Amino acid sequence: MYDTNRRVENAVNLNDIKIQARKVQVYYGDKHALKDVDVDIQDKTVTAFIGPSGCGKSTFLRCINRMNDTIPIARVEGQILLDGEDVYDRRVDPVQLRAKVGMVFQKPNPFPKSIYDNVAYGPRIHGLSRNRGELDGIVEKALRGAALWNEVKDRLQEPGTGLSGGQQQRLCIARAVATSPEVLLMDEPCSALDPIATAQIEELIEELREQFSVVIVTHSMQQAARVSQKTAFFHLGNLVEYGDTDDIFTKPRDSRTEAYISGRIG
Amino acid sequence: MTDMPLSRPTDMADRKPSASLLEQDARTKARNAAEKRFRLYGVAAIAISMIALVVLLATILTGGAGAFRQTYLNIPVELDAEILDPKGNRDPAEMAKVLTLSYGKVLDAAVEATVARHGLQIEGLSEKDIDNLISKEASAQVRDRVLAEPELVGQTVEFDVLTGGRIDGYFKGRVTMESAERDSNTSPQQLQLAQELADRGEMVTRFNWNFLRYADASDQRPEAAGLGVAILGSFYMMLVVLVLAVPIGVAASIYLEEFAPKNRITDIIEVNISNLAAVPSIVFGILGLAAFINFAGLPQSAPIVGGLVLTLMTLPRIIIPTRAALKAVPPSIRDAALGVGASKMQSVFHHVLPLATPGILTGMILGLAQALGETAPLLLIGMVAFIRDVPGGLPSGLFDPASALPVQVYNWTQRSDPAFIERASGAIIVLLIFLLCMNVLAIWLRRKFERRW
Repeated sequence: MYDTNRRVENAVNLNDIKIQARKVQVYYGDKHALKDVDVDIQDKTVTAFIGPSGCGKSTFLRCINRMNDTIPIARVEGQILLDGEDVYDRRVDPVQLRAKVGMVFQKPNPFPKSIYDNVAYGPRIHGLSRNRGELDGIVEKALRGAALWNEVKDRLQEPGTGLSGGQQQRLCIARAVATSPEVLLMDEPCSALDPIATAQIEELIEELREQFSVVIVTHSMQQAARVSQKTAFFHLGNLVEYGDTDDIFTKPRDSRTEAYISGRIG
Repeated sequence: MTDMPLSRPTDMADRKPSASLLEQDARTKARNAAEKRFRLYGVAAIAISMIALVVLLATILTGGAGAFRQTYLNIPVELDAEILDPKGNRDPAEMAKVLTLSYGKVLDAAVEATVARHGLQIEGLSEKDIDNLISKEASAQVRDRVLAEPELVGQTVEFDVLTGGRIDGYFKGRVTMESAERDSNTSPQQLQLAQELADRGEMVTRFNWNFLRYADASDQRPEAAGLGVAILGSFYMMLVVLVLAVPIGVAASIYLEEFAPKNRITDIIEVNISNLAAVPSIVFGILGLAAFINFAGLPQSAPIVGGLVLTLMTLPRIIIPTRAALKAVPPSIRDAALGVGASKMQSVFHHVLPLATPGILTGMILGLAQALGETAPLLLIGMVAFIRDVPGGLPSGLFDPASALPVQVYNWTQRSDPAFIERASGAIIVLLIFLLCMNVLAIWLRRKFERRW
């Protein structure tokens, strides 16, 4: 029920282009934060955005689900097409968009509610279940999908904020997955976590790729190399280079990319 | 400039290379002394405020405790049908034509009879002294009772009647034989008689519930003055404030904090809300007088007007803490809600508001507490008037004249009889108890809604 239809559909356009960005500009007030970004993000692929701090990679990520709308001074120009539809079209309600494009934040931010309610919140507000049993099923599936089920199945009514940092982040992933999105955006999801929790999340990202198009912003080049198939390098608001992860890390075409991955800048 | 680098090595050389950690150098000593001094200042400041608080509370409690005790004289009163029901048909409408003056005569006779029954003979005691043992209010109270129960007429009924203010004061230690010498309202003989009656168990001092029930009384009869009208008036006003200020204030805060665009207009509104919180409360009184009484034509002295004025005064005091509480909710919670596709309103009402609830409730109750203790604006809208009738029930009672607790305190401190000073202190105690209850409620609510997870 939950995503069989989509699976069939996905099977057809496997590795199709999911998101197309065309000449995306972002301004924060007078500051031109992102310049002429053109990128095609594939379905069922992990795409990593790397680059030094302030290079615009998080800004671009937040454009995809229009989280930048919440910043009053931010202004976005250009087109971002999700399955060929411009998400910045006047008719698009960002609330509907965000149900399709889930997001995981840098710092684990579970709601101060129970584990169950954290995961069930999205399905509830989007009316994805008709009764309690169906909702229970969605919650379990999402928690399994986030590799958290076995750890929390006996304490679903306990507060989500009582979990460890890594568990909280997986809870946030479960929360994002529960609304059955098509794209999962992750904004440095491991930066607040220890290496073991990081490894668990990375493993999870690998599994999530089977169902979603995953876009991850990361500060760690090793992480980008480990989890992603595609990598985009941002520098000073420009998308410098975009390509297969292996190519970016072994034979970068741009000198700035090379300088960054070899540790000379950033 | 050039000697700067040169001076450094000498500095280094000045410092003893073998400075021991076990010995404090002059700089450390000075630093530690400064810290010690500062701590002392802090302790002294707290001690001074604690002493001030203790002195204040002790003064009020010792001065006001008396208001909660009252002396009564227990006498059998022969309700003479000849006087009280001259037509003899027990019709309350007819009996109402008999004035309190007649009841006063009946009571005087009853008091004299009681004194005679105990065979109390005191040198120099006048008949007036005996009659004045009881309050002037007593005849009115007996009359009320008789009009309510006409069948009592013709019988001899036991009454607990209020004693006069001086007699009451004697049993509370406020009036002494020495002060009675100089007092035209009482005499040592009268006090002696009262003491004799008390020794025989006819005159008792006991807890005074009536202080919380009776209306205000005139200058001559402090023993009959109570807080009934003031408590009810304050309660009605708080009700108005609660019903108006809380929803309006919370809604305004949520809109301004979460939804309103940040532009020049909202900036101006914000600044003005802060300014309004600092406007002297008496100004709100003038506004209320002009707007609600003169313009809108609402009645004077009415709790509805007091409540509206206090609402205006309380609004900014609710909006400011409510906005602070909303602002204190971490933005990551809003992001999380928006990130799973909640609308702005859902994110506010499902996530932000529950987290801000303890702060909002605290601000709300403290705003109400402030309104409860506010006096100045109420003086201007006529709530300082002398009000004998207890306002009616809701909602019509909102339009009946009433007083308010702090105004009643102000009112009583203006009166000459020292018994009213005691009443005023008693009223302050009642007000403080109410405020204490509200603060305890605020703390309890904050604890209850606070999520420690």
